[in-house]
Amino acid sequence: MDPECSQLLPALCAVLADPRQPVADDTCLEKLLDWFKTIADAGSSLLLLQENPCLVTLLCPVLKPQDLSPRVLAFLLRLAGILAAQEDCFQHLQQGDLLPRLFGEAGPLGGAAWTAPTVRSGWIQGLCSLTQHPSALCFLAHSGAVDTIFSLQGDSSLFVASAAGQLLVHILGLSMQAPAEGHPSLQPAHWPACAQKIVGHIEESLRATATPQVTQALNVLTTMFSHCHDPWTQVLWVHLSPLVACLLEKDPVPAAHSLVDLLLSVARSPVLSSSSCGLWDTLAQTLSRLRASQAGPLALGILKLQECPKALRAQAFAVLLQPLTCVLEATTQAPGLPGSVGGTADAPLTAGMLLPSKAACVGLLCQTLAHLELLQPLPQRPSPWPWAPLLSAAVTILRLCNGSATPTSDTGTHLCAFLAGCVRVQRAALDFLGTLSQGTGPQELVTQVFAILLEYLTSPDSSPTVLKKAFQATLQWLQSSPKPSGGGDLEPHAQLFLRELLPVLPKRLCSPCWDVRDSGLEFLTQTVRRWGGQAGFRHALLASEVPELTEQLLRDPESYVRASAVAAMGQLSSRGLHIIPASPGHPGAQQSLLEELLHILSTDSEGFPRRAVMQVFTQWLRDSHADVAADTEHFVARVLRVASQDLDWEVRAQGLELALVFLEQTLGQPSSSCPYAMTPPAAAPPSLVAQALQPFCRVQLFDFAFRALFDCDRPVAQKSCDLLLFLRAKTASYSDQQGSSSGPDVASLEAALQRWQAGDQGQPLGDLEPEAVVAVLRSLDLEGLRGALAESSDHAEQSPLSLLQDMLATAGILGENEADCY
Amino acid sequence: MPEIRVTPLGAGQDVGRSCILVSIGGKNVMLDCGMHMGFNDDRRFPDFSYITRNGRLTDFLDCVIISHFHLDHCGALPYFSEMVGYDGPIYMTHPTQAICPILLEDYRKIAVDKKGEANFFTSQMIKDCMKKVVAVHLHQTVQVDDELEIKAYYAGHVLGAAMFQIKVGSESVVYTGDYNMTPDRHLGAAWIDKCRPNLLITESTYATTIRDSKRCRERDFLKKVHEAVERGGKVLIPVFALGRAQELCILLETFWERMNLKAPIYFSTGLTEKANHYYKLFITWTNQKIRKTFVQRNMFEFKHIKAFDRAFADNPGPMVIMPGYCVQGTVGHKILSGQRKLEMEGRQVLEVKMQVEYMSFSAHADAKGIMQLVGQAEPENVLLVHGEAKKMEFLKQKIEQEFRVNCYMPANGETVTLPTSPSIPVGISLGLLKREMAQGLLPDAKKPRLLHGTLIMKDSNFRLVSSEQALKELGLAEHQLRFTCRVHLHDPRKEQETALRVYSHLKSVLKDHCVQHLPDGSVTVESILIQAAAHSEDPGTKVLLVSWTYQDEELGSYLTSLLKKGLPQGAT
Repeated sequence: MDPECSQLLPALCAVLADPRQPVADDTCLEKLLDWFKTIADAGSSLLLLQENPCLVTLLCPVLKPQDLSPRVLAFLLRLAGILAAQEDCFQHLQQGDLLPRLFGEAGPLGGAAWTAPTVRSGWIQGLCSLTQHPSALCFLAHSGAVDTIFSLQGDSSLFVASAAGQLLVHILGLSMQAPAEGHPSLQPAHWPACAQKIVGHIEESLRATATPQVTQALNVLTTMFSHCHDPWTQVLWVHLSPLVACLLEKDPVPAAHSLVDLLLSVARSPVLSSSSCGLWDTLAQTLSRLRASQAGPLALGILKLQECPKALRAQAFAVLLQPLTCVLEATTQAPGLPGSVGGTADAPLTAGMLLPSKAACVGLLCQTLAHLELLQPLPQRPSPWPWAPLLSAAVTILRLCNGSATPTSDTGTHLCAFLAGCVRVQRAALDFLGTLSQGTGPQELVTQVFAILLEYLTSPDSSPTVLKKAFQATLQWLQSSPKPSGGGDLEPHAQLFLRELLPVLPKRLCSPCWDVRDSGLEFLTQTVRRWGGQAGFRHALLASEVPELTEQLLRDPESYVRASAVAAMGQLSSRGLHIIPASPGHPGAQQSLLEELLHILSTDSEGFPRRAVMQVFTQWLRDSHADVAADTEHFVARVLRVASQDLDWEVRAQGLELALVFLEQTLGQPSSSCPYAMTPPAAAPPSLVAQALQPFCRVQLFDFAFRALFDCDRPVAQKSCDLLLFLRAKTASYSDQQGSSSGPDVASLEAALQRWQAGDQGQPLGDLEPEAVVAVLRSLDLEGLRGALAESSDHAEQSPLSLLQDMLATAGILGENEADCY
Repeated sequence: MPEIRVTPLGAGQDVGRSCILVSIGGKNVMLDCGMHMGFNDDRRFPDFSYITRNGRLTDFLDCVIISHFHLDHCGALPYFSEMVGYDGPIYMTHPTQAICPILLEDYRKIAVDKKGEANFFTSQMIKDCMKKVVAVHLHQTVQVDDELEIKAYYAGHVLGAAMFQIKVGSESVVYTGDYNMTPDRHLGAAWIDKCRPNLLITESTYATTIRDSKRCRERDFLKKVHEAVERGGKVLIPVFALGRAQELCILLETFWERMNLKAPIYFSTGLTEKANHYYKLFITWTNQKIRKTFVQRNMFEFKHIKAFDRAFADNPGPMVIMPGYCVQGTVGHKILSGQRKLEMEGRQVLEVKMQVEYMSFSAHADAKGIMQLVGQAEPENVLLVHGEAKKMEFLKQKIEQEFRVNCYMPANGETVTLPTSPSIPVGISLGLLKREMAQGLLPDAKKPRLLHGTLIMKDSNFRLVSSEQALKELGLAEHQLRFTCRVHLHDPRKEQETALRVYSHLKSVLKDHCVQHLPDGSVTVESILIQAAAHSEDPGTKVLLVSWTYQDEELGSYLTSLLKKGLPQGAT
């Protein structure tokens, strides 16, 4: 421990032990524990106690818990746990009889403080920390703590109850570690006493009639089988599985969700699934016993297993598909899905049973669609994957939602009534439809997909969130459209679709909702990036109002939309799609876009559009956009001049990114082996290097970069550091030859750097000589600066010393400034 | 048994990281999604893994409601929606929707720029999160789905802050978020109608405080600022809670105007300037005075206060006024706790030479205000959040004593379960209502009154109809039911004479009723029939046979008791 902290610790312990000195900020004690944990993890806790006897003194007031606030009491319990995690320190605390009095009946356990959940939580966390060695197990066995943990499983606090379950798993695992050196005993009856007690408790809970008790037992087992894969877990499962199977006999099946979790954790365990132990039968039985909404997650879990009997997989897939089969049957379409709505032969499930009410129908369909969306990209998904029926189901659901489906049965009419206008199902179905774009379906179905997407994109009833999903799904379908064998253009279907969509897009770009305009622009940017080079698309786009409207959106009142419009315009321009016929008012439309973007960069009051402009400019520079290539130096100089003055750190950081691209283009990539790059060779003559650096001097890049080195926003300073390090590496050989350099330029530059470091704004540097730059680059401790910048800006305030000082300083004045808030 | 369940994941017996889960009528709603200023790690956000152990969040939660734009109420929202994966609707008021992204961006800037955090939510995530927002108007009933509806009420506190009523069927919960029951310089006082929710979840920051007069506090503030300026000094007021900056600006602006002061006032070009734009835009959300004078002069267009420019960056003057609480781990906390030496970056140590003043301008209801709101809403139960345990305990007792309702104060992670009695809707036939109206009594919401009818259950619906209609609908025949009673009278006279005495007595007592003496000797009062007969064993006693229909049950009982007292001696 830092000596300065060690000095302050006794005073702090005295404050904590004094009930008249409340701790103001509830985060302080948490942070103090973090600090003790770090110290304990790094060295000997016993030494820590011996060097700081005040800590032992601090733990003693727990013997009179009524005097302490619950927060401090909980803190002390957790601290004791952290310290006692090391066996020698545990023994030391045991000698003082401290631990039984902290965690046993004599402690807060029996007192009024126990009613505070914080104290119960502290008690359990303390025990969890200290249960790391055999001595701790003996302690638990003798102190009766395990019984208390059992009762805490049903605690009114979710946190305490969950921690109790986890602690039981931890204790069971630790007690089984000792005999695990040999073969695990076949019978839990021969296991260590502590383990036997826990297993006995689990058995009793599984037999209980009260569902909460069953849930607790199932949750404990789930945690255990998920985290522990020792051979003894197999013995335990063989022992307990009959009891678990008994749960399936009950009607309704108690704690169904927890049961599903348990069975899946067992199936995923490498120790258990390989030996099966009747597991597959239990899983199959569970699938048929549970309600559809409960069986869905189990079916998904089974299908995600790496290894599993074929029949079970088929059964699981049928269960998962049931709701969609219902939808298809209700709309009198041949289902074509592997699972029929059969259920069991003697109790056939009908759509009415499966989707009885609106809430149940919506919930089940959303769940099913989400499950299938999760399953589809996995390699272990059922094969063959029924692309066509699934597509058909997704399209049908979307049609039922927007009222375009014509149901021919009563069930279909019911479904129509349930789903009409249901945004939740629309969102889920569109997400799934997007995922289905990864596969193939018959042409007729693909036509239907594009038709329904167009309906949603056109419909005035589509909500903004649904529209966003529709745009996403559309993009996915367009991207997955196969290219025609001739190559080049879009597949005719998609091309036709885009031609139909482009007249719709202006309506969305004029929407009164900012989010719709924004989603429309994001979609446009993506499509132009992907198909901007294809003749059919270009023609359709140029024939529409889209480019003109996009330009108008550069002046949208919403900054998010302006930013998206900037990105879209940048993309349109890169693809040569921003061509306005030259007129006296528009001498050269391309030029005017550059000017307009520069105008946005210098005047827009919001950061997003300015950041977007910088991204567009950087991309233009990378792609050698025609306007940029015409006079790159001039372009870079203008952009850097504006960006360096920006108040938004991200714009300045982007400015440095642009500068770096310019550097790389001029000097070559850091590890570039490009023979044409203008890299000064190892023994380059000074004149050549100076010549290489001249353009950077002309665009005032160094002025920006050196000033940014001391920017108040650290990502800017970090970026500048990286840039200058890159430059130094490039000029290293040259500066080696030069030796130490001094001159008026170097001195003035160094003076300016010192001023900037001190926070002075100062005047621009004016014209710099490349030699001076190289000399200063060499003298700067850029690595050191980079190290300092890697630290958080508040690392001084967040240090343990600062924490101790703050806690001590606050102790005296609490009465004056009571905890206020925001 | 239907029930309402409430589990705070944050703000349960603490301040910061507000996040409360409510289950009502089978619907699950998350109230607020805040962050804790005091932590830089996972602990800054609520532990969302406790929301549902099984299944996806979007399937489990029906909606998220954000009460106002302060980060301890919305700071975890992009993390929750874009990183944890909640994809459902988020409700907030229009001003909150407008200002929320500004604060979230600022939060991101501090985390990424100042603290160098990786894996933090991005600007794109903030935007995508805001696209999931459904903005609501005050007092607009919004249907989340067929069963769940929400309604926003004005909460004061900051621009756009709202209390939300969440209703499923006849069950309802009101969540206050942060609120202020006293109007300030730019906002009005919180208000809610007498909605009698099953549960009121209220903040309790000032559970034990009765705040001093605001005027005194403001005077004190202005005096201190003025004195410092008069001495030629400068005053730095780092206002970190958005909304308070506007309040203090108006305060200073008015004072400067009144005192004709010339010293410049600057505000930072960051958040305050951006938010000011929205304060001008959402003028309808401000208080009456600002709305009234808005046409002549928008109070948020300051004359004396100018945007701060970097060029003015200079050593701050001899005074700093901290207008709110600072969490540990900040320079503000150190200055407030009186530390005179501050270690800055690079182990540079600065001496604090300036005068430091703490003045709370935070806009929360005090204990009186909380009690006032409870009185206004008339809830069946109250649940306290967003406060300290000790103070809550005090307020809890006070509420239970004064309003005779149960008051709860769960810690984070603790679930409070309230059983509710579902009300069953019953339709009333028009005929029955018309008949009731024909009696001349106008309906009065405050005076419930009895309505007799027959309850019919058909197709899972309940209807109250007249008995005639019920008979007709159900195809049943009517049966007459009469109550009978025997009253013994000591009267040696003949039966006819006794009957006549009864008639005379009743005629004199029941002046408003139609009392008749029929030729067969019996007496009638409305449908009540009285016949006198001789006693079989005692000739000095007569037996009065009284019978009446159930419609005259009240009168029949009254007559019987009257006759049991005997006849007056003078009656002939």
